[in-house]
Amino acid sequence: MVDVPAGPAPARITDSAWRVRTRRGGELLMSLLKNPTTVAGLVFIVLLLGMAIFAPLIAEPNTPDAYQMPRDWGALAVPPGSPGHILGTTNVGGDVLYGVVWGARTSLRLSVIVVSLTVLIGVTVGSIAGFRGGKVDEILMRIVDVFLSIPELIFALAIAAVLGPSFRNIILALAVVFWVKYARIMRAQIIHVKENEYVDAARVIGDSPLRIYLKDILPNSITPVVVQATLDMGNIVLVGATLSFIGLSEAGIAEWGVLVSEGQSGISAGRWWSSTFPGMMVFLWALGFNLFGDGLRDVLDPKTESTR
Amino acid sequence: MIRSKRPSRLAALFGVLLALAMVAAACSDSDPSDTTVSTTQGTTDTTAGSTDTTAGGTDTTAPATTTPGTEISNPGVFVHAADDEPTTLDPAQVEPGEGGETIILQVYERLLEIGNSGPDPVPSLATEVPSVGNGLISADGTVFTFPLREGVTFHDGTPFTADDVLFSWDRAMTMDLPDGAAGVLSDTVDSMRVVDDFTFEVTLQEPNAAFLNAVVPAMVSSIVSQDAVEANGGVVAGEFNEFMSGNPVGTGPYEFVAWNRGEDLQFTIFDGYWGTPAFLDLRVEIGASPDIRVLGLRAGDYDTIEADPSFIGDVQGAEGVTVDGEGLTVEPIHIGFNLKFDPADLPDGDRIPAGFLNDPRVRQAFNLVFDYNAFVNAALGGFGDFNPHYIPQGIFGYDPTAPVYDQQDLARAEELFREAGYWDEGFSISVVTEEANLFEVAALVFKDSVDNLNNPNMEITVAAVAEAVFDDAHASDPVPYAMWVKNADPFADPSAYLDSYALPDGEWGEIHDFRAGYADADRVQTLIDSARIELDPAARAAILAEIQRVLYEDPMWLIAAQEGVVSARRDWVQGYISNPLWPRPSIKFALLDKG
Amino acid sequence: MQIRDYILRRLMVLPVLIIGVSIIVFALTRVGGSPIGVYLQTGMTQEEVTELEERFHLDDPLPVQYVYWAGGVLTGELGWSGVAAAPVTDVFLPKLAATMELAISSALVAVVLGVALGTFAGARRNRLPDHLTRVFSISGAAMPLFWFAILLLIVFWVYLGWFPIGRSDPNIYARIDHPTNLYTIDSLLAGDFGAFGDALWHLVLPAATLGYGATAIIARMMRSSLVEELQEDYVDAARAKGLPERLVLRRHARRNALIPTVTVIGLSFGFLLQGSVVAEIIFRWPGLGRWMADSVLRGDQATIMAYVLFTSVLFLVVNLAVDVIYAYLDRRVVLGE
Repeated sequence: MVDVPAGPAPARITDSAWRVRTRRGGELLMSLLKNPTTVAGLVFIVLLLGMAIFAPLIAEPNTPDAYQMPRDWGALAVPPGSPGHILGTTNVGGDVLYGVVWGARTSLRLSVIVVSLTVLIGVTVGSIAGFRGGKVDEILMRIVDVFLSIPELIFALAIAAVLGPSFRNIILALAVVFWVKYARIMRAQIIHVKENEYVDAARVIGDSPLRIYLKDILPNSITPVVVQATLDMGNIVLVGATLSFIGLSEAGIAEWGVLVSEGQSGISAGRWWSSTFPGMMVFLWALGFNLFGDGLRDVLDPKTESTR
Repeated sequence: MIRSKRPSRLAALFGVLLALAMVAAACSDSDPSDTTVSTTQGTTDTTAGSTDTTAGGTDTTAPATTTPGTEISNPGVFVHAADDEPTTLDPAQVEPGEGGETIILQVYERLLEIGNSGPDPVPSLATEVPSVGNGLISADGTVFTFPLREGVTFHDGTPFTADDVLFSWDRAMTMDLPDGAAGVLSDTVDSMRVVDDFTFEVTLQEPNAAFLNAVVPAMVSSIVSQDAVEANGGVVAGEFNEFMSGNPVGTGPYEFVAWNRGEDLQFTIFDGYWGTPAFLDLRVEIGASPDIRVLGLRAGDYDTIEADPSFIGDVQGAEGVTVDGEGLTVEPIHIGFNLKFDPADLPDGDRIPAGFLNDPRVRQAFNLVFDYNAFVNAALGGFGDFNPHYIPQGIFGYDPTAPVYDQQDLARAEELFREAGYWDEGFSISVVTEEANLFEVAALVFKDSVDNLNNPNMEITVAAVAEAVFDDAHASDPVPYAMWVKNADPFADPSAYLDSYALPDGEWGEIHDFRAGYADADRVQTLIDSARIELDPAARAAILAEIQRVLYEDPMWLIAAQEGVVSARRDWVQGYISNPLWPRPSIKFALLDKG
Repeated sequence: MQIRDYILRRLMVLPVLIIGVSIIVFALTRVGGSPIGVYLQTGMTQEEVTELEERFHLDDPLPVQYVYWAGGVLTGELGWSGVAAAPVTDVFLPKLAATMELAISSALVAVVLGVALGTFAGARRNRLPDHLTRVFSISGAAMPLFWFAILLLIVFWVYLGWFPIGRSDPNIYARIDHPTNLYTIDSLLAGDFGAFGDALWHLVLPAATLGYGATAIIARMMRSSLVEELQEDYVDAARAKGLPERLVLRRHARRNALIPTVTVIGLSFGFLLQGSVVAEIIFRWPGLGRWMADSVLRGDQATIMAYVLFTSVLFLVVNLAVDVIYAYLDRRVVLGE
């Protein structure tokens, strides 16, 4: 958005051999682990992903659709510690623990789908723009600029509103909004990497452009995309939960934003649990990926250490 | 050098601003009688430092106005936190049960009003309730004479006469807006006549037992200022009047001041009111979520809030708050079966076998599936009961011995589904409801109840949408969903319920095509028609009792519950009276004071 | 490249971006059902509807429709807001004032706190305060505002009763004129300090909610640019001259570190606009954000489109302004791509 001079400098790897990169991977891990906040982020991520993956074991579903909240009409709004409801229940008897656990799975589903879609689209568009250059680049980048001109949440809100309230439409809306950053990052990377000697060398040998792209350019350009994708794993859940909170999701699904929204009326009577726990989960999820992504950026790209 | 000092200057400036703010706020929050003191402070207040001590001194009192306590908030104004934003304030346009009715009740008056308790009408703009005994109803029961009150003026200063009555009723029937309730008048009234300035005469199409308590006091029958209408667009058939929909001009104790959409509606005491004037000005806050309403009531910012059983527990026991939970509303919460849906309109994924809802056994089965205990005892916290199809408790003709659906009976329901031949095929139906209220809860109970059948082919999906979106769907013909949840409109007379909710050619009978579903539609039609014109109470009650039994076997609705009346107000509210037959929240604010 | 050329170039790109945004917005109106819905008012007759269809050429090819639509937008014809029951243009300004008052107050808080916190952390790199600030900043980015706002509401409104919700006390609102619809300014113009206090008092909770996130963004930027500046040669030179560390920081490093920090103000402004949607819902602030949220739920397309269009243009202009200021402040910047 802002024409900052340096821009994220691309990681330069002069030898693209696997061995070097794996060794570098080990070093990378070591330097990541040196930073306490990064480690904290990693711990959150591992715990939350564990929760999402093992959701059926932690909170066994008893409804036809496991992503729907099970309701216990015999125990409405009971406090944490009640028998059968460790974290209490919502106003309509939804088990908060179930919502928290399956909410992690919902979030994982949301973020994985959206991140894969957006990375795929963004990297493709960015690569075409960076690799081809010229008019194609100009047009694609103008489109990217236009997309970046609309604030993310507002754009997603408008798209989801036009499509109608449903979880599927939230996924669609987020995918439309989030791909542009990748396109921009990828293009900048490719333009830098393209200038490297090994690319020239490959060209001289007579490698096809596709081969050059796949073998020399892509692997050496992808690191900032990985960093951004890590951050977005958190941000997408945050924005998605906000859309749900505003009311663009479906009633009764195990999703954190929906639960916070439903739990609002309980807080006034001291029933803090049904919105506090799910809200905290959104926070921890986003925090985990942000802390880790931030540490990742510092390590992969020491020169532009945390300029954002 | 100079530039480097910038942030610290900015910080200093900000500090000064903050200090100023604190001083000012301390002044503003202190006792209103110190206005002079605070202005002096304000004007001498050139530097933050010099008044700092004053600020400290009064600072401790600052939160007092927002802290719950004995001191009354908002003196001089009664503040009510309502649920919905009205769509219109025009009696000719308002839909029964809609938020605008509440306002119309306060600003306009009718010839007769439902009294402070019970279903009986009392004089208002008419000075007497017509009866055969006082000679104001003709012997054949079709001609009604209303002697009118003299010396009444409208908020625009014009005097009230019989012409205004004729004009108002005629106007509603001429405009005949699709969302309005003009049918209440036009289905009953044959002709109207101004006898003299203060006598008005109505001739009905046929004797109607419900005329005095269901037609005359209805919001659509409110008396509007003829001058105001004619000065602002007049009456055009089939078109709403933009001025009147936002600027009510009536004779009621409150005069309209402003409508800030999405924020509030403001009213002032009408000085020229003919009766007992209102005690306080009125402000109706719009669109606060139940949570904000509860919090505002606890904080003392609101004097009364619109509440329902699903969250009334949140204010029970709060300091300075009184909660009432006596009696039942006359607006049963029901799930409608739409026999006339267009498959192309239905949401994706809906799968409904042909003739499904037309089969009385299927409708019975749904009535047996519903987990009434979960809804009434859990979700409504016990604030609710059951009523037979389709006469609520508290309405004339309700038969306590009539059979009602009040128990989940999964085995019998499965039997009926099997008998009707739909058990294996199953269904997938979206039930549409307004989000975040009791109706959504009822829909969720319904969904869970159907899940209890353990038949993977039977699926209910809850489509919870914004209120306006729901209202759109609900007002469409055909409704674009096969089932929907809402409550009934309140009426004072059983025939009004039956006409709306059971008559094959009635309001919902036509929209949902009851005729295609009733085992014997003509019999239902005949029974309801005869109940409407029967003036002898005992004979009428007997017909109504029979109807309740017929409709039990052939239900067109699933009545989740007859919701309990609940209300919550500050202790300082005086003279609290509520009648469930008044539009929600069933309060006339002019009767209330604070102190 | 000269600064003037740079500004000119940016100014030339601006209309292109605005047109691009308007095309997206236009496309959205055609995705969601019948485009006529955007222009309809309640109670319109069939003839009026037909007239509208002709005026906006709804049976013509899309590019033609776009031109007519854009023409309407330029002349202030943004359609009818079902939520506000009035033309969008009529309701826009007062609501915009409410949102701007909130956004600007939050920005003020955020700049002051963010710079202070960033300086504090940057000067203590990799020590405990730095780590804590990092956690604080990242928490700001990861914090679901809707949740944070609810927590504030409970603590400060319900339990402590310190701050109100809404935008003003209706009785105080009624006693002064509102020429600008910025209540703080209006009350100062009226010389009514009680009303000024009331306006500020109502600002506290929503501004704190929004300010938190923006503070985090600014603190983060300030910290990292300060860290960079502290490694520069001129800082070493100043130290070598025997200048005390405090003065090195205050006179040299902080001043220069502030320059890149300016760039994130544009970024945080976008954050404030987005956050205002949530903060306005929860604190009942009668601004654009709440109007947007209501419109979204009620499918009020005309309002949604006007809001998206307006916010994006505002966001673009603010960012342009920030970049220009940045270019002036820092002549070392290599302008261009």
